[in-house]
Amino acid sequence: MTVTQVQTPARHRVLVRERGVLDALEQAAAEDRARHHLALYYRALTGKVCSLIPYDGGANPWERADTEAEVWLPAQAPLDEHFAFTSGQFFQVAMTHRAMHERFGSFRLELERDELLFRRLRPADIGDPGVPALERLAGLFGHSALGVHMFATCEDIRIDAATARLFPGVAGPLRAVQHGALHDRPETSVLSPRAAAIEALIRFSLGGSKVLAPNQLAPTIEQIVAIARLLRDPASTVESSVEAALRICHLLIEQPDVGMHRTVRELRFADLDGDAEAMSPLDLATLPARMAGAEGLGPWYHHVRYRDWPGPRYVGVGEGDLSLADVLDLAARRAEGQGEVAPGPDAGDDDLLDIEGEERPPAEEKPQEGSRPDERPADSGMTLPPPTSDAPDLVWEPALHAKGRREFTYPEWDRFAGRVRPDHTLVRLLTAPANSSEHDHFEVLARYGHIVSRLVRAIERISPQSTAATRRTSTGDDLDLDATIDAMIDLRLKTEPSDHLYTDLRRPRREVAVAFAIDLSGSTALWLPPDAANPGVPIQRILDLQRDAVSLVAEALNRVGDSFGIYGFSGTGREDVRLSVVKDIEERLTPVVWRRLGSMVPDDTTRIGAVIRHLTHRLQQVDAATKILVVVTDGRPFDVDYGQKYQKEYGREAEFDYAVADTAHALAESRSRAVNPLLITVDPYGENYLAPVCDPHEYHVIGDPKDLPEALADIYLAVRRATMGRPTAAAAMPPVRRA
Amino acid sequence: MTSTRLSHAVEPFYLPVRDEVELFSAAYEQRIPVLLKGPTGSGKTRFVEHMAWRLFGDRPDAPAEPLVTVSCHDDLTSADLVGRYLLSGEGTTWLDGPLTKAVRSGALCYLDEVVEARKDTTVILHALTDHRRMLPIERLGTTIQAHDDFLLVISYNPGYQVATKDLKPSTRQRFMAIEFDYPASDLETQIIAHEADLDETRAGQLAFLGEQLRRLGEAGVIDGPGTRLLVHVGELMVKGIAPRRACEVGLVQALSDDSDVQRAIVDVVSAIFPE
Repeated sequence: MTVTQVQTPARHRVLVRERGVLDALEQAAAEDRARHHLALYYRALTGKVCSLIPYDGGANPWERADTEAEVWLPAQAPLDEHFAFTSGQFFQVAMTHRAMHERFGSFRLELERDELLFRRLRPADIGDPGVPALERLAGLFGHSALGVHMFATCEDIRIDAATARLFPGVAGPLRAVQHGALHDRPETSVLSPRAAAIEALIRFSLGGSKVLAPNQLAPTIEQIVAIARLLRDPASTVESSVEAALRICHLLIEQPDVGMHRTVRELRFADLDGDAEAMSPLDLATLPARMAGAEGLGPWYHHVRYRDWPGPRYVGVGEGDLSLADVLDLAARRAEGQGEVAPGPDAGDDDLLDIEGEERPPAEEKPQEGSRPDERPADSGMTLPPPTSDAPDLVWEPALHAKGRREFTYPEWDRFAGRVRPDHTLVRLLTAPANSSEHDHFEVLARYGHIVSRLVRAIERISPQSTAATRRTSTGDDLDLDATIDAMIDLRLKTEPSDHLYTDLRRPRREVAVAFAIDLSGSTALWLPPDAANPGVPIQRILDLQRDAVSLVAEALNRVGDSFGIYGFSGTGREDVRLSVVKDIEERLTPVVWRRLGSMVPDDTTRIGAVIRHLTHRLQQVDAATKILVVVTDGRPFDVDYGQKYQKEYGREAEFDYAVADTAHALAESRSRAVNPLLITVDPYGENYLAPVCDPHEYHVIGDPKDLPEALADIYLAVRRATMGRPTAAAAMPPVRRA
Repeated sequence: MTSTRLSHAVEPFYLPVRDEVELFSAAYEQRIPVLLKGPTGSGKTRFVEHMAWRLFGDRPDAPAEPLVTVSCHDDLTSADLVGRYLLSGEGTTWLDGPLTKAVRSGALCYLDEVVEARKDTTVILHALTDHRRMLPIERLGTTIQAHDDFLLVISYNPGYQVATKDLKPSTRQRFMAIEFDYPASDLETQIIAHEADLDETRAGQLAFLGEQLRRLGEAGVIDGPGTRLLVHVGELMVKGIAPRRACEVGLVQALSDDSDVQRAIVDVVSAIFPE
C-alpha cells in the first residue's frame, strides 16, 4: 500500500502524461482511499481526527514530526523480500503506534504524579506549574535534545509493549516490522561509546536479543536494559518513562561521544541483570547541568521508520507555539541567565583506555553542526511553527453564543495554534428578499436550456428514478386494500368513509440532497468583459454567472426529483456570517425561490469554513442516501478577522494561510460526516492555494467564469456518478481543472 | 407487531448498568409512563422484557401476555394500535389492537421506536399517559379505562431518527425518561459471554472491539455497533467460525457499505483478533 501525498496534483499531472489518464486517476483514487481508511482506523482507536501526510526518505525530520492533527508516515513501506510483513501491515503498525501514544497518555504528562515502578528521583518542585509539563521535562535534562529523545524512546518501549498486550492481532505484524527495523540498524562496533549505548537501547526497544558492544560498555548497557525492561510492565505510565529517561541519560552522559573501542563482544539482553536503581537523587541534581546543551542523536542515528519523530507533540509549547528546538534554546538561555547551568565535566572520558586516538574537538564545537535534530535548517521551508497538542489557549476572542432559532455557532480551525476553537463563528440565517418576478430564471433557461435537458437526461440514465409506495393517499396508482376495507366498514356502519383509498407509486424516493452555497462577497460585483463570440449576451457580473449556473442545475434537479437547497453567503466577521436562504432543502419549490435567487446582490466578505460547517449540519438533518454540498466562490476565503491577528507574528501571508487552512479543515469535517463537499472556484489562481491543503477531488478551478454554468453541470453529474451506490465517493470522480 | 409471552420460569437475562431497574420499578409503582432513550442495540427491549418478568413473573393474576411489544414503522396507524373492524360473513367484527389488549388486560405495552409511527398514533397516547389513563376508541364510540396494572413504555433513539421525526414536547413531557447507553466494557463482556455462551477472553475482545468502533459512531461515520450485534458475532464464533471471518460477515458488512469505512473496520478487527 502506498500513502499518497496531499500536495500532489503536480505529481498526478506528471503521471497523467507518462501513464495515461485512467491509470493515474485510478492510482490517485486508490491512494486517497488508503489514506482515508487509515485515518478512520486512527480515529476508531483514538477518537481523534488526523490528516495523513507521507514523507520521502530524505525529508528533514523536523518537517515530519506529528502534530495533534497531522500524522506523518513514510510514503512507502520499507519492504524487503526477507521481511515477513506486508505494506498494509506496516502502515497498520505505524498507525497503531501513533494511536497508542494518544491512548496511553504520552502527551498528558504530569510531572508531579507518582508512578509505581521506579524510586522517585524527580524533585518535588519541578518548575513553574504554569509551564506545560513536557517543557518542564526538558528542564530536567538541562534542556538537552538528547534527553527528550531518550524520553521518547522510553515511551516507544512502553507503547509497543502495551500495543502487543492490547491488540494481539497487531502483535505479530509489530514483531515482524521490528525485526525488519533491526536489519536497518548501524553496527555498534563502529560507534562512539555513547552512540553505541543508545543503539543498544534502540535494539532492545525493537525486541532485539543481543548487541555487539565494547567490554567497557557492558555495565552501562546492562543498567540501561534493566531500566528499559521495567517499562514493559503493564503498570508503567508516562511518568515511568521520565524516571527511566533520567536514569538512562545519567548513564549516557558518563560516556564519551567520540572515538570508539577496539574490542567488542556479544551481549545477550536476556543474560543482563543490571540494577535499574543505581542512580541517586544526588546524581539527578547534577544531571541537568552536565547535559545542558548536549547534542541530539548524531548523524549515525537511523530513525525507526514505523515510529514517530519526537517533535512538537512531545515537547509541548511555551509562548507562541514553539518547536522543540525553540523551546530547548529558549529554556537554555533562560537557565543560563539565572545561573542554573554550570558547565559540567564530561566525566569518565579520561578513564577510557581503549579509545582510538582521535583528538576530541573543543567543547564549543562538540555539537555536530548541521546534524543536530534540534536545529532547523535554514532552507527547510518551514516558515511556520508546527501546531502542537498542548497549546495554551491564546484567548483574544471569547466564545460566541447563539440566540434564537436562526443563529448557530460553529468551531473554527486555528492553523497556527494547531487546534479547533470552539464556538468561534456565529452563522445567522436570513430569508433572502424576493424580486417582483422570476423573469431572470426564465431568461437563463432560454439561454442555457440545452444544459438543463442534457443534465436531466444524464442523471436519469445513471439513476433511474426509483419509487416508493405511499399508502392511503387521495390519488394514486392502485387501490389500497386496507383503506378500501376500512371504507367499506365505515359505509356499513353508516359513518363517513375516508377518501384516502389509494397507494401512490409515483412519488420519487429521496436519494440525493444537495445544498448550493453561492459566494456573495463584494468581489463578485466584478463585471466580466463582453463575450466577443456572443455579442447578444449581456455583460454579466461574476455573481450573475454563479447564480445562473446554480439556477440551471437546480432546475434540472427539480425535474429529476433530487432535493436541493440554495443559500447565499457573506458577512462582516466571525460574529456575523450571514447565510441568506433562497430555498431551504426541505422547502417546496415555488416561483418565489426563483425571485429570491434573482434578488441576490454582492455583499461583504467570504468566511467559507463557517458556511461549510452550517450546511453540513443542515444536510445531516436530511434523510437522503447521498448528500452533496456545493460551494461556488470567486476567490480566496477572506473575512475581517479570519487570521489577521497572526500577521504580526508570521507575516502577511498568515491571514491567507489561516483562512485556506480553515476552509480545508471544514471540507474534511464535512467529508467525515458523510457529506460530499465540492468547492468550485472561478479564481484562476485557486489551484495554487487549494492544491496544498485540499483533497484534489473536492475542489475545482474554473479558469474562465463564463464556463461556470456548463462546468457546474458537468461537476454535478460527475459527483452523482461517483456517489452511485455509496454515500461518500468523491474520490472516485476526477477533479475538474479548466484553464 | 409482536406480542411477547413471558415464561414464568425463565428470567430474561439483563445486567443493570446503573439504577434503571430501581427507576423503572418506582415509575411502575406510581404508574408513570416510561420513555427509554438510547442507541440501537443498547438493551432497551431486553430491559423491558426483564422488567415485565420482574413485575409479573411470579404473580398468579398476571395477564396472559404481560408484555405487548409493538415495533413501530412509518405505515403504522392508530387503527393498527387500537383495533379495527374486520369483514366477516355475518357483517363486521371488531378486533382489538395490541394497545387496546394491553390496556384491557393490564399488561406492559412497549412501543419500540415510537417516532417512526405516523403522527396520529402519538395523539391517542395522550389520554393514556396522564391522570385519566383512558383509551378513547373512536370507531367504537367508547373509552376504555386502563387496567390498574397497565403501563405504557415507549422508546426512541434521538441520534438515529432524523430531526423531523423528533417527539413533540406535548408527548415527551408525559413520560419519565431513562437514558440507555452502551454498557461499560467489563459489563458488556459479561453480557456477550452469557448471551453468546462465549469464553470470557473472546467476549472481552468483542467488547473491546465495540468500544473502538463506537468512536467512529461518535464521529458520525457509522452507527456504532450495539451489544446485540456483538452478541451475534460471538454466536458465530461459538459455532466455530474464525473470529476475523465472524466479524467480517456479522459486523463489518452490517456497519457500513462504504468500502473505505469497511477497510478501517477490518483493520480494527485484525488488530484485535490474531489470524
